[in-house]
Amino acid sequence: MEYKVEAHRIMSISLGKIYNSRVQRGGIKLHKNLLVSLVLRSARQVYLRDYYGGICLSAQQAREWCEGEYMDSEQDKLVPGSTESLPESDGQSEVAVDKQEPSNVVESHAALDVESEASGEQDHAENGVLDSGCSELKTPEESPEASPTCEVSNVVTTISSNCISGPPPSNPKQATETPNGCQTDDGESVEEKLHEPIVPHTCTNRKRSADDSELTDSLPKKTKVMSSTLISKNDEKKAETEEMDTSNVSSLITIFGSSFSGLLSSEDGAQPDSEAEDSDSGQICCDQMLKNLNPWSTAIVAF
Amino acid sequence: MAGVAGGNDFQWCFSQVKGAIDEDVAEADIISTVEFNHSGELLATGDKGGRVVIFQHEQECKNRPNLRGEYNVYSTFQSHEPEFDYLKSLEIEEKINKIRWLPQQNSAHFLLSTNDKTIKLWKIGERDKRAEGYNLKDEDGRLRDPFRITSLRVPVLMPMDLMVEASPRRVFANAHTYHINSISVNSDHQTYLSADDLRINLWHLEITDRSFNIKPANMEELTEVITAAECHPNQCNVFVYSSSKGTIRLCDMRTAALCDSHTKFFEEPEDPSSRSFFSEIISSISDVKFSHSGRYMMTRDYLSVKVWDLNMENRPVETYQVHEYLRSKLCSLYENDCIFDKFECCWNGSDSAIMTGSYNNFFRMFDRNTRKDITLEASRESSKPRATLKPRKVSTGGKRKKDEISVDSLDFNKKILHTAWHPKENVIAVAATNNLYIFQDKIN
Repeated sequence: MEYKVEAHRIMSISLGKIYNSRVQRGGIKLHKNLLVSLVLRSARQVYLRDYYGGICLSAQQAREWCEGEYMDSEQDKLVPGSTESLPESDGQSEVAVDKQEPSNVVESHAALDVESEASGEQDHAENGVLDSGCSELKTPEESPEASPTCEVSNVVTTISSNCISGPPPSNPKQATETPNGCQTDDGESVEEKLHEPIVPHTCTNRKRSADDSELTDSLPKKTKVMSSTLISKNDEKKAETEEMDTSNVSSLITIFGSSFSGLLSSEDGAQPDSEAEDSDSGQICCDQMLKNLNPWSTAIVAF
Repeated sequence: MAGVAGGNDFQWCFSQVKGAIDEDVAEADIISTVEFNHSGELLATGDKGGRVVIFQHEQECKNRPNLRGEYNVYSTFQSHEPEFDYLKSLEIEEKINKIRWLPQQNSAHFLLSTNDKTIKLWKIGERDKRAEGYNLKDEDGRLRDPFRITSLRVPVLMPMDLMVEASPRRVFANAHTYHINSISVNSDHQTYLSADDLRINLWHLEITDRSFNIKPANMEELTEVITAAECHPNQCNVFVYSSSKGTIRLCDMRTAALCDSHTKFFEEPEDPSSRSFFSEIISSISDVKFSHSGRYMMTRDYLSVKVWDLNMENRPVETYQVHEYLRSKLCSLYENDCIFDKFECCWNGSDSAIMTGSYNNFFRMFDRNTRKDITLEASRESSKPRATLKPRKVSTGGKRKKDEISVDSLDFNKKILHTAWHPKENVIAVAATNNLYIFQDKIN
């Protein structure tokens, strides 16, 4: 247990370092930030290993009942201003969204796919489908079978279904999502879905592509804001799981190679907030967020 | 000269200290590189303010033959200025990352100095004569009225006060996207290499607008960065570069135009029992130096110094622990950023001893033959002329002996990152923040 505390502390410190590196004189140092990201990844692995130790057992059961169940929970979650905070759920909402950043969050084909999938069904079902996704956000190690996609779609779903209030979705498509109020995370259902790689391969990395941007808009701020750099990073990302290394570096390179514009609000790394109720880019509890972030997202979040 | 360190028959004593005594250290005065030239006559230092100060070894005093001459300021100049990259909205620091001397070929001295982005070739020349008796201008430089000139005369060279001038001869710019961490002059005396995180460039000293990428940056697949690079001292086609993963690659430029594949790959298998969150950071190599003979190379990572035989790739032949007592403090060192400190290391002239820095203004020397090591401190307190340096010890166990210092009382702000050993004599230069200490062996 103490490992978990220590790991969490190290993660917070690492994020702080990455954040501070933006303002350091002389520009962002690639070498130092690469090392910090490696530490972040190690700490995260330890942290999540502990965390998911218990969750994994229930994942299977969750898989079974989730399809039907989550719909209900989703409906519940649609209540605006719901302050339900499921510790796990936050994790998924890794999609920290910055309203102003259309590129944030997951946009990617996954999101689109999810949407299209969803649209083919009823509203609730849609939510369900969207929710069912594997967790790219989750520890890749935990769900090796999960294609890189899932998570994103997962989050996307969650977000959309949870009615994000944020920048009004410019895309009519978003209508299916019922944005209203903030949503915390409908962590549970999503959480349980984390291990399910249901979403097709397409839902990969939260890439930012033009078509996805609209989807993105509808997913305003989720827990943490993803900086645009994350997005561009994502462009280079491939399957998350084992390619963490390469994506890490390429992401870093992308980040550090370009100026950080429109980076997100600073995160209060070490301070867990209660679920964000506000419609602003709420800051979800660092814990929750961190749990589900892959190291990259985490790094981005730092910004 | 044997250059033995740490043995009973050998003692280091204080010689000089340069720099302000002030407790308040200006950031710009922090020394960022120290380098002797090939003869040892000149000692160059670069600081964070972009200045280069060169000290010259004075001839020994005739009336005090026991004393080696001192190093006095020879030349000071501003090498680099802070710049701003408008395209990327990035400020480029003027801090001098490295200075490397070129082998002397005439009466002038040449050195390469680099900051994060630009390398400059400086010529340091002496002027001790001046031409007097010009026809067209007066002694003070004013032009003479041509109608007043009635006769011609030949200007005569008259002695004048010695003036040392430093002038930039070449500027090698715009070739590095990332921060330059190393430069190394080739043994052919015509080319040199510069390395940043992802690329190594080979330059010709005469050509400033072209360089050859030796290591193409393949960003998508790299999971490590280049941390240091050096040319082989004898073989002009060979160079090595170290990585953040603790590996060293030796490349032969004869094999291909682009050295993206290595000839040799040096890596020591990781000890799984010592794995921690920070294993990757502490295995990152901060400095690599060839021995003068060219047979060995030395690498410095956070906690140790390793000597490698170029003929054996699977493990180093010698490993020296610099400050193993810090292994349990890695988390705190990570928090205060000390774990990212890049320590340098150096060989003595005969390759029998190596030296590197540590915290609390301590520096360590290891004798490769006797396997003895010694810890010394660069401090004002022990800076009396010709005072012998007392070996220091850090207590690691519970019981602290007298004169030992406990790990928790170490001052991590006082770090010795840059040291240099005279190529021929037992004289060392140690940079402690903004002060430069010069120590020499006691001549009996």
